[in-house]
Parts: sequence; C-alpha cells; structure tokens
Amino acid sequence: MVNTEQITFYTHIYSPYSQRVHIALEQAKADYTPYTLNVLDKPDWYAAKVNPAGKIPAITYGGPKVSPDTPSDESVKLAESAVILEFLADLFPDAGLLPADPVARARARFFLTVVDTKGFEGFREFIFLGHAMAPLIDGYAALQALLPPAGGFALGGDALTIADMAFAPFLARTYLLLSVDLGKFPAGEGKKAYAILTSPRFARLQQYLQDVKANPYWKATWDEDTQLAMWFTNPVFRRK
Amino acid sequence: MSQQITVYTSKSCPYAHRVELALVEAKADCTRYQIDLRNKPDWYAPKVNPVSKVPALAYGGPPVPADQPSPESTKLTESLVLVEFIADLFPESGILPKDPVLRAKARLFADAVSNKLVPAQVAVLIRDEDPEQLVQAYEAIQALLPPQGFALGPFSAADIAAAPFLARIELNLANDLGGFPANEGKGPKILELLHAPKLARMQQYLKDIRGHPSFVATFDEASRSVTLHFLCGHGH
Repeated sequence: MVNTEQITFYTHIYSPYSQRVHIALEQAKADYTPYTLNVLDKPDWYAAKVNPAGKIPAITYGGPKVSPDTPSDESVKLAESAVILEFLADLFPDAGLLPADPVARARARFFLTVVDTKGFEGFREFIFLGHAMAPLIDGYAALQALLPPAGGFALGGDALTIADMAFAPFLARTYLLLSVDLGKFPAGEGKKAYAILTSPRFARLQQYLQDVKANPYWKATWDEDTQLAMWFTNPVFRRK
Repeated sequence: MSQQITVYTSKSCPYAHRVELALVEAKADCTRYQIDLRNKPDWYAPKVNPVSKVPALAYGGPPVPADQPSPESTKLTESLVLVEFIADLFPESGILPKDPVLRAKARLFADAVSNKLVPAQVAVLIRDEDPEQLVQAYEAIQALLPPQGFALGPFSAADIAAAPFLARIELNLANDLGGFPANEGKGPKILELLHAPKLARMQQYLKDIRGHPSFVATFDEASRSVTLHFLCGHGH
C-alpha cells in the first residue's frame, strides 16, 4: 500500500516535538511538503485553519494539493507529536516506525510514555525553569535503564522506532545546551549537569546518542551548528 | 491467541478500569486479580510492577495462579499502552478501527482526556479549585463528539479512555465526595454546573456510556468501592 494523499508538515527546527515527526517522515520516505512556521509571529490562518492550539508540529493529510499557507478545508488536520508518530506508523507499516509484534509495540509505547513524563519534566524543570537538576538526571537515568544493555536503539535493533524518534530530539538538545551552559539555570549549573551526563554513569546513554547521530534519518533532520546558533539567540535564555 | 493474560486491577481505579473495558470489548480470555490499594500484597511490587500501581498486565508464560506470577511472563504497565496492546492482540475487536485517520482521532480524544479532563478532575475534586476548570474540560471533550454516538461513532479506545473518569467524576460529585469541605453540598452544586444546558451533549454521551455493555459489565455504581478513586495512588 503506497500512500498517495498529500502530507503538509508544519514545523520549526528548534522544536524537539517537530523533529520527532520529521525523522518519522524521512524514515517512511514519505512524499511531504515541509513548511517552517514563524513561531515568534504566527500567521492568523495557522490557528484558524491548521491547529487551533497554535502549536507545532501539525500535519494536514489528504485533500487537494494547495500551498501550505492556504490549507484546504478538505484535508484532515492532526496535531500532537505522539499521535502523528502513530498515524505515520499506521500509514507506512513497512517503514519500521513500530514493529509488528504486540509486545514490542507496547514496549515502544511505554518508552515513549516515560520520555513524555519523567524525561520531559526533567528537561523543562532544569533547562526552561532553572530549577534543580535532579529530575533531569533521574529522568535520563530511568530512560538509560530501559535501553537494551548490549547496545542498539530502544527496542534493541539498529533502526529507529517511534520510541527513539520521541526521545532523541530532547536528548540531543539536552547535551548540546548543557555543554555550553545554556539554559535558565544559574550560571555554571549547566556545565555541572553536563559533567554528570558525560561521566561513566551515563556511558550507555552517550553511546545511544552517538548511535542516533550516525543514523541517516536523524542526520537528515539535525544541523547542530544551526541549532546552537538558534538557541544562543533565544530570548528565553538571556541571563541578566 | 493462546498466551495467558492476567490483569492486576482495582475497582476504584479509573486507569485500571480502562484496561478492564478493553478486555471485555475484546472478549479476551483472561484472569482478573483485584489488588487492595490500601494493603498491597508483598509480592506485587517485586514480581509484577515495581512502582506498585494498577493496572498491570502479565502476558504469556506458564499458567500460574495470579498471586504467584512467573518471571517468564511479560509485565506491561500504563493504561493507554495496555489498551493499545489489547487492540493489537484483538484487531477485530473494534477497539481501534483500521483506518489510520480514525485511529488518530481516537488517540487525539484520549489525549484530550489526559491533558484536559484528568487535570481538571484533580484540580476540582481533589484540590478544591475553581469548578470552572471542570466545566471547560467538559466543553473541550464535548466539542470533539459527533452529534450522535460515541467519539468515533461506535464505541472505541477513545471512549475507553474517557468513560472511567467521567463516571467517577459524576458519582463522586453526586455523593459530595471530594477534597472540598464536607457537608456544604459543594459536590452536587458542581454537578449542576456540569449538567447545564450547554453541556447537554456530554450528558447524552454519559448516558450512552452507562448503557454500553462493557461498561455495565465493569462498573458497579452501587458499590462504594468505585468512589474511592482518591486512593488510586496515581501521581498528579
């Protein structure tokens, strides 16, 4: 079954949630049209016609081929990265986004749940709110503990599944930002957290990140220099 | 499907109720074991679920009594992950339809339950915050319903996500049970707000849920135990 319906993907490279969907679209070799949304000055039509919550990522699916800034009423509008990942897994069952085995699928979804709870909370608390680093360290320790010890991605193979696509964008940004002490935390705390995350205690996690970064579908969606430059100019992180 | 299924559950817990609904919809041959959340058996955390919560599912492995779980069975947790798992094991059950767009709609509905209804329930029924939050959550869920029937038309994973919470919200408020001051009749007053004319579609949805066979089979309104959801122990 080959998908012939149009897919338009509303995104911005800063967003780890959008990157999840981007990696999936690439691995699925989907025929899609990306559109970078100006997240600092969103056009009125976006909330009106694509996502009432005004957030990215979002996709439109089906309907006539139109330009991204004039979405058709006939297309289906989908938001929420985890929902879009499952949708793409359903649409492209041979792309390896989810395996066929029910137990393996449940493990992938469980991993994704931990990413979205413990993983995200720690990331937000420390990097965006400047609170203590413990939830971030503990969250990544919990996720590391779920990785197969011998190597590979979250389900043990050498191909990304939605579990990895959900996790890696947050993980990569964490290492990137903390390495240059960039975040809302007091100066120096980022580098301290980075020292912990690059210590032997997190050897498995570092190997995982290295494996992700070597993956072609990850590479198609990540430019580290551009990311860093963008985060340096993010007004949220300006320290007094 | 010859692999054994054992579900560890509790009548009071809305998350566990989701899994029970799915198992009944699937007509799955399974063993249900009730965990007393106020007095959990010693073997539960080490052998089934290290975080000690329900629901949990043991799948496969040798046939053993539920209170002597085998290390050979696969242990799975997280209610929505378990509902998807049951849908995968029983694809003809209708828990999730085959069409990818409809499956996405079911998941978006479940997402609205998680991100709007459940936090509002915690805020209003447990922390005694402004009831308007729950009214708005009801409005948000209502906006996703078609004019008739369940979230996708036929009963599905979308309704499985919502029903246990909606039913307990209404039951607790009717019985004036919650974190609000006792004996002020606050529960019924909040319920009146939720029964306003602008929420008529939600009331029809609730009525449809309460009459649906798998719900009838898994929810005993007369039993006081279903109103003890605060003891469910799930983090907020």
